Formats: sequence, C-alpha cells, structure tokens
Amino acid sequence: MGDESTVLTPAAARHLLRRTGFGAPAKEVAKILQRGDTRGSAADRLLSFKPAAFQPAGKDLRLRQNSWIKYMIGAKNPLQEKLVLFWHDHFATAASKVGDVKMMAVQNRLLRRSCKGSFRTLLQEMNRDPAMMEFLDTVRNRKRTPNENYARELCELFGLGAKDANGSPNYTQEDVVQLARAFTGWRLDRDKPLFDEGNHDFTDEYPERGPKVVFSQVGGFGPAGRSFASAGEGPQEIDTVIDILLAHRDSDGRHTAARHVARRLLEFLAHGAFAETTPERTAVVDSVIAESGFDQSWDVQALLRAILVSDAFYETAAAAPYGAAAAKSVKWPVDFVITTMRTVGLKTKGREAYVDGGSRRSVRSHMAAMGQELFEPPSVFGWEWERSWITSATLLARARFARDVIAARGSGGTSFRPEKLVDLSLTVPGAILDATLDALGVTDQVTPEQRTILLDYLTDGGVRTSLDLADDDTRNRKLHGLFGLLLQSPAHQLH
Amino acid sequence: MALTRRRFLSRSGLLAAGSVLGPSLFAHPLVRRAFAETIGDRYFISLFLDGGNDGLNTVTPITNGSSATLRTAYEAARRAGGGGLRLAAGELLGTPSGAPTLEDASSGTPLGLHPGLSGLHRLYGQGKVAVIQGCGYPDYSLSHEESREIWESGLPGGTTLPGGWLGRYLAANYGGSDIPAVNIRSSLAGEFRQSATSVLTIDNVRDFGFPYDPAFSSDRDEKRAAFFALAEDAVASPQSLLAHVGTSARATLLSSESYPALHDLYEADRATFDAAYDGLGTSLAGDLREMAKVIYGVVTGQPNVNARFFQAVNGGYDTHSDQGATQADGQHTRLHREVGDAIELFYQDCEDMGVADKVCVLVWSEFSRRIGQNDNGTDHGSQGPALVIGGAVNGGIYGNHPDIRDASLNDDGNTRYSQAGGDPFRSTDFRDVYGTILTKWLNMPDAQVLSSILPVDGGDPNHCWTTPNFDLGFV
Repeated sequence: MGDESTVLTPAAARHLLRRTGFGAPAKEVAKILQRGDTRGSAADRLLSFKPAAFQPAGKDLRLRQNSWIKYMIGAKNPLQEKLVLFWHDHFATAASKVGDVKMMAVQNRLLRRSCKGSFRTLLQEMNRDPAMMEFLDTVRNRKRTPNENYARELCELFGLGAKDANGSPNYTQEDVVQLARAFTGWRLDRDKPLFDEGNHDFTDEYPERGPKVVFSQVGGFGPAGRSFASAGEGPQEIDTVIDILLAHRDSDGRHTAARHVARRLLEFLAHGAFAETTPERTAVVDSVIAESGFDQSWDVQALLRAILVSDAFYETAAAAPYGAAAAKSVKWPVDFVITTMRTVGLKTKGREAYVDGGSRRSVRSHMAAMGQELFEPPSVFGWEWERSWITSATLLARARFARDVIAARGSGGTSFRPEKLVDLSLTVPGAILDATLDALGVTDQVTPEQRTILLDYLTDGGVRTSLDLADDDTRNRKLHGLFGLLLQSPAHQLH
Repeated sequence: MALTRRRFLSRSGLLAAGSVLGPSLFAHPLVRRAFAETIGDRYFISLFLDGGNDGLNTVTPITNGSSATLRTAYEAARRAGGGGLRLAAGELLGTPSGAPTLEDASSGTPLGLHPGLSGLHRLYGQGKVAVIQGCGYPDYSLSHEESREIWESGLPGGTTLPGGWLGRYLAANYGGSDIPAVNIRSSLAGEFRQSATSVLTIDNVRDFGFPYDPAFSSDRDEKRAAFFALAEDAVASPQSLLAHVGTSARATLLSSESYPALHDLYEADRATFDAAYDGLGTSLAGDLREMAKVIYGVVTGQPNVNARFFQAVNGGYDTHSDQGATQADGQHTRLHREVGDAIELFYQDCEDMGVADKVCVLVWSEFSRRIGQNDNGTDHGSQGPALVIGGAVNGGIYGNHPDIRDASLNDDGNTRYSQAGGDPFRSTDFRDVYGTILTKWLNMPDAQVLSSILPVDGGDPNHCWTTPNFDLGFV
C-alpha cells in the first residue's frame, strides 16, 4: 500500500520502466533510485514529454512498418510509443482494408500527437481520420443507404463498450441507426475529409425517420433521449455526437466512456485482470477516474498519472516466484521484440530492418509471426491480449526471434555483442548468470529453481566449475546460449 | 545446488527417452498417449467464416414456393443492376440430378446455391453436404465480437461455463499430456479454449521445428534440456498465466520434434494433391492442406501425431460495401469460390486417403447479414445457414428457411428467431447442430452434453431453447 509520495524500490522502478516503456535497463533503474523518485515524481517525469511529430515513412506498407519499428527501437520517450500502440489497438484500423499506407501513417501521427491529450478531442479527430473513414465505411455512409459500421464500433469499442459492469447493454440497435445518420454525407477529397451536404441525412428530408435522437432507453437521458440535431444539422453533428456519447451514463450512473477507457488503460498498464468487471476491479477504475477528474476533463495525461501512482499498478511488481494471486501480464509481441533489441543494444540491418542472424527475417515479420503485425490488427477489435498472445505458433516465433538475436554474429551494431553487457573476465557461473539477469533487467523475475536450471546449463550439469568467456567457443555457446534461453523461457514472456 | 548432468537430464524427462533427439524420443511418456477412445478413428473440423457471411446469398430462393413468396421478398430486398446484390434465378445452382432436393420443405421453396459455390455444389450432388438453414439463437447480437463469442462458447443465455464448446468437450476427454487438436492459424480459436489439454496452433507444419543456434550446435541437447526443464518448472507454477505459458511451451517443444516431418512425407507421397492445392492458390486451400498433412500423419501412424480436431478460418465476410452479386471479381463470389473449391479438394484428398467417411466439417459464421441491402453491401444480420460436409453426412436440406418477407422482419430489418412448434419458419438453434455433432459424431452422451457443454435456456419455450433436439439427422 502506498501513494504518490511512496519512494520507489528497485523492483518498483523496474516494474514502472517495463510497463511504461520497453524494458528496464540497469542505467535507467539506477537513475530513478539515485534521484530517490517517488511514484508521483517518477510518473510526472515520464509524462512530461512533448509528443513528437514523427510519422512513419516509406513508399509501401513494409517500409512504413520498418520505419515505425526503427523509431521505437531508438525512441527517447518509450511511453509515447506505448501509448501510440495502445491507441492503435483501441482504434484498430487495418491497412489491408484502408488500401492506402499514407493514410495509415497520417493516423499514426495523429495517435502520437494526441496520445495523452483530451480523449474528447481524440474521438472527434478519429471521426475525421481518413484511414478510419475508409476502414469503417464512413465514406460509404449515405442518406439513402446508411451504413452502420462506424456508428456501431464508436459505441461498442471506441466510446462505451457493449455492456457495463452490471452486464447491462450500453446502447441499442436503434441508437446505432440514429448515430449512423449523423455520419452520413462524408467523403474524402484528395485524402481530406469533406462534408457532402447532398448525401447527408437532414431530418426534413426523411420525416418518416423521425427526429435524430439517441439513448432514449439507456444512457441516462431519460425516455426523451438526447437529440443531436438540436445543435444544428450539418458537419458539426459528428462533434455533437461525441459530446452526447461522453455524457452517457451506465446503470450505476457513472460516465460510461470514462470507465471504458480507464479500464482499458489499467488492463494495458497494470494487468489483464482489469478486464473482469468484479466490484473490486471496478472500484479501482472508479478511483483513478475520481483521482484524475477524467470524467470531467477527459484529460488522458491526468488519468495516466492517477494510474501510475495507484497501488493497483504497483501490485504487479511482484518478484518471482509468483504466488497464485500474483497479477502478471503477457508481453505484447511488439514489447517483447523492441525491449529485446533495446536491452541488448541490437540494431536492425538494411532497408528490410532484419535481425542479422539465424533466419535473417525482418523484425516486422518476426512480430507478425508472434501475432502482431503493425498497421494490420486482425479486426476492428484490435489484438487479443494476455493469454491469447501465447500459442504454440507464437511461442515458436518468439523462440525464433530470440535465436536470431543471439545468432547475429556479424560486425558493428547489427551483431549481438554480449561482451558489452557482461564482463568477460567473470568466470564463476553464478556471477555470470547474475550479470546476465541484470543486463536483461529481470533480476527479480527468476526463481531459485529457474536459476538452478540455468546454472546447470552453464556448467553442463555441474561438470564445469568455471567458464572462460574470452574463449570464443565457450562464449558463443554458453553466454549466447544463456541469453537465448532466458529470452525464450516461459517466465520471460510475462512482465 | 548443482545437479549432475545425469540427474539433470533425468529430471527433464530426457534420460527415459534415451538419446535426446533420436527416434526413441518419440516414446516420451508425455506424448505417448494416443487420442481418447470417444472419437474412435474420426476427425472433426470447424471452419469459421469470419465477419458474418451473407446467408441469403449463399442459399437463395429461386422461385416462390407453394406456401410462401420468398423469391418475391428476396427481390424486394436485393436490387438488380449496379451495386445490386440480387442473384438471378438462372444463375443459382439448383438441385443436381440424383441428389437430395434443394428445397425448403416447409414452404416448398426451390433453393439454389450461389454460383461461386460450384465445388461445394458438386459435393452436394454426391450427397455429402448438409445445409442447415436458419441457425440462430434468441435475441441475436449484431456485434461481431459478441456473436462470435456466443457461437464459440455455445452459451447465448449468459450461462457461464469456461472455454469454448469444443474446448469443454476436449477437457472432458483428454488430459494434460495429450495433444488432440490443431488450429491452422497462429491464434487459438475461441471454440477450442480450455485449460485441461493442449491445442496446437500451426501456420504450417514445415516451419514448426524448434529454433536452435545453427552455428554452435554442439550443446543443442543441453539447450533443449534446459528449455524443457524451464517449461516443466512453469507448468508447476501456482500462477495460472505462467502455468499456461509453461504447458504451451512443453507441448510446443514436443510437437516441434514430430510435426515438421509431416510436410516432407505428404509432399513425397501425395504430390498430385499437393499440386492441386497450389493450383487453387488460396490461403484456405493452403490451410486445409496443412490439416491433410496432419491427417496423413495420423493415418500412416507417425509417432506423436494424434490430432483429431482441427480449425481453420476464412476471413473477409464483413461485406458492408462492395459485396458483389455474382461478378467473378466480386468479394462474395471470391469468398464462396475459396470455400467451395477448397472443401471439394480437401474432401477428395480425404477420400483418396481412405478417411472421407471419418471426416466431418462444420462451416459456420457469427451471423448472416441484413435482409435488405444498403448501397452496395449489407449490414449485420441474424440467423443464417450452417454447412456440414463429410462422407458419412446425410446430404440434404435441414431446418427451415427464415421468413424474409418485409412484414415479418423485426425492427432492425432482420429475421426473427422462433422455437414455436407449428411455425413453418421455426429456427434451428445452433446448439442443436452442435449437440447433434457432439452426440452422434463425437459419441458424448446427451446428458453429459446438457450438463457440461450446452445447458438449455429457461424462459418461453416459443422463444427460447428449452427443448433440445440432438438428432437433426444430418449425421
């Protein structure tokens, strides 16, 4: 139990760095401890960045994926990229349907620019985001033939969630139909959103459709619902709709959108158990909202700060061995890959951005094999998190990536050089293991049993009592091998 | 405490197997257990059409029937001409000669398959395809995710049982050291979710080998032993997520030593079929070929290859726009062709392997689409047809066509679910389809299906699933 003035322990510092960035390099941990950071001061420092204007470049999807990957490997503010990934998943948009990689890159920049700003603004920007308008058919939603695709997902995924914590639906099919009317008449003109009055559903023209009213059954507006035409019909309707959506209340009388986003962020930053709608979890959701005033200000940065000083967040700092109740999360493939590259100081090679060892695959194809291809979420629901990340196919893909990393034996920055991470003059197996764990930032995440197994590996079951790491063969097998095993091990897939 | 090398290998279960990577590993006690007795020598395949397949343009009224004007209603809902989705009567594939009549019995409506489904239609002509019309559940969800989860779990009623419907079946029949199922994809299919036994996910068997450092292979055995020991250690963790990763890692390592060889075996022995899948060139054809490789491994008794349950998915059915009617380059035609052609070839492959009568394929989607079209596509709908294919399947049409007449649609423009006894448009609850498969194909007793897989709904018997029928007759 603690609060924002609680001073960070080494384990807490490592946890904070792992969750808000890509791994916990020893140097960064040391800085936090040296400064004597508290939960509050560490959160403020992490959140103080000014969003960059970066936009992935390249003429095709492959190159844009590579561009983003390289940017993440070198990112000065890893939290910014973590948040872009979160919003990419939240507003899942797939290049394969959008069909225009430039639009995907523009959306990526939008998500970066607004990654910790106002959620209200972000929703309004997404309404007009060209990639999103293509992906969920806003550009094909016309007054004569309305298309419900975007309106439905705005409710179900982006804004409210299908059901609230009590299992009550947050909206009806009629609400989707009504909301879809607001989004009629938009198209793209030279890749820019353009309101096309002639295709917009004006109430006068369709008296049989009745007034534009939503949430007359659920949403806390009472039987009259809420009209979005009353603020004037036209291009501004899609902005009005966001305000109505944000004013929506669930069956507990709470702001539905605030709970939806806060719960998702807690799942992302703390652990997956926040997907459960138990009263205990919901109470945490409500407390970070109350703490931050998110349901009034919609300020994502304030919400993030409240999460990053909460006990719920630090609860997952548990060191190994984990008890039955320990809350852990499965690393996203992007996290696993970028963390590894950054931690061992490995650069990608060439235009294809590949790992220069083993199968010599590009980093993006390694990630895709692990189940996460950037700009290609599997559906509008984004990626499935936690347990779903782990299957035999994805475990092999993770193992293959780890193997390629330790087999990268070229020269320069694209080769794996353990001598930069571990002092080669060490000879005692236990000391070599400790140095390796420290280099990977997982000192507190390995159990005594796992240590025994890894030491057995290093010593060939106790046959060797000391190792000469300066010897090429010993180093190449045992030290490279130890890094590989640790990266491949089941425990390392969690954080 | 440092273990001796001998003790270390012994603890990792490797000494019992003799040499680490040699053939005797295949006698490893963890993988020796064969499939459970319940399914005998049969196979079951779940094929998911992801995104909501337009059932009305899959099995379509050709003319009005003797007691209902479904073709008239169809033509009112689906326009002809540019952007129109109407399938002309003359294009539809009707009853093939000598085959079970393609007709909705209760309304006397002649039905036809979409012309893209010509491969499936040929199988229908041989009596190997059952079309089960109007499969749904009460209060249909129009959300992809919710409806898919309902079909995956088999639980529309809010009952909470863990995992997917097939997962619960597997959990009841297989143990922690069995590997009874393979999903041809990299993510686990929802209907297979459970935590009692191992379901592999494999994109392709050739690449399913475990990656070792190729340059320094001299301590490959030690790396293998250490990875196995780390997996076993994780399996024993009280923390369920770590135990899950451990179980998965263990099954993966063991299978990675038996599955990759299936590729070369199939390529060598079944070159003609191998080339025929290439000829189709679709991702679904490729996925069904991976299943065929595993089935061939089981048929020829390859060590540690015991999978009996499979899953594949074909995506792209969320045709809100540019759905196309029968244009060769239209989305829906292409999707139908992918499925019809790949299933026909897979069936022939199974026939040639001598297991066509042992294979049963269920084709399903999370919902059908809106009866009335939009500009040039369709929004989300409710109940739709499921298909069951296999040598032992009783081909024909089952269930009733949904009532698509405008006046009968609900406020959303979708067809209504009904369980009323005398209703000529009575729906087939999708759980009756599952139940028939579980009891008649997978030999699970009715009572066990009801208690642990598919609990009945409470409520109004005209509107809820209160009287299951686990003998629809298609198998």
